[in-house]
Amino acid sequence: MTDHSEIISRITGLLYPFILLFGFYLILNGHASPGGGFQGGAVLASVFITRYLVEPDRCIRLNTLKTAEKTLFVCIILYPALFLFVSPANHSELLNLIYLIVMNFLIGLKVCSGFTIIFFRFAFFEGGI
Amino acid sequence: MIEDIFLITLVILAIIALNTKKLRRAVVYLGVFSLVSSFVYLLYGAPDVAIAEAIIGSTITTVLYLVALRKYKVFSIYYTNDSNFQDIRLLKSESPFLYNLETFLVKREMEPQIIYSREPIETVLAQEKFDLAIHHTDQDIWIYGCAEDYQFDAVEDYLLTNHGDLNLHLMRCAEGEDNEA
Repeated sequence: MTDHSEIISRITGLLYPFILLFGFYLILNGHASPGGGFQGGAVLASVFITRYLVEPDRCIRLNTLKTAEKTLFVCIILYPALFLFVSPANHSELLNLIYLIVMNFLIGLKVCSGFTIIFFRFAFFEGGI
Repeated sequence: MIEDIFLITLVILAIIALNTKKLRRAVVYLGVFSLVSSFVYLLYGAPDVAIAEAIIGSTITTVLYLVALRKYKVFSIYYTNDSNFQDIRLLKSESPFLYNLETFLVKREMEPQIIYSREPIETVLAQEKFDLAIHHTDQDIWIYGCAEDYQFDAVEDYLLTNHGDLNLHLMRCAEGEDNEA
């Protein structure tokens, strides 16, 4: 992997938008079809991970990602609580749908940043070299 | 029927992954293994699990294992000597022992990296991150390695069979914070 090949970098660059699209599809359609926050988030994280194959020398801004992950975690805790207390007693179907989609979205982004942090931390800061 | 075929394929792939000589091939077989197992999940009607298995099993863990392999490949050897050596290249040509050790490690897919140090062996042991530390006195060769390092076992076997005539002393240190393999 030290001498990275032109073919792999070109093809991965071409594939990025499709992987991103698939990830967001999995997240946003997770309440109706197979998939959901975790799986979609893992697909989004694989975008960052394959980026390592293209440019093995450059790290990403890990601190920003860490802050984002913490913020998303707080959001994931706060949002259901808020939903419980604010929504009316007999809430409609639409409200449930919005709740599910937003929750899936938050979980997806959190999983994506978590996986990315784990991977880049491992690749650049742990062990030898 | 199809499920049975793929389940048998899973077992075969697992056995192949265990029996490969090179670790990198085993990683690739493991990726194929998780791909097939995700297909089996799909056949049993669990598409959710199948997606998760396909992404995590065959993308993320494969890349992680490859990165880990690349990190583990560099094998650093610290070499200290009693006498003040003048030229490093001269030293390597004078002692076939070091040269043989290097070729042996290359054969095992490692990248040996020899660091010549003027510090006493105690400082090296205490402060540096090493896989092997070699202390060469006039008669004896002291070799220090990690107790849990399986590469060190292979090195020990090799040295004892091929260089039995030298006065070798193999020491095993406990795995500390500083000298992780």
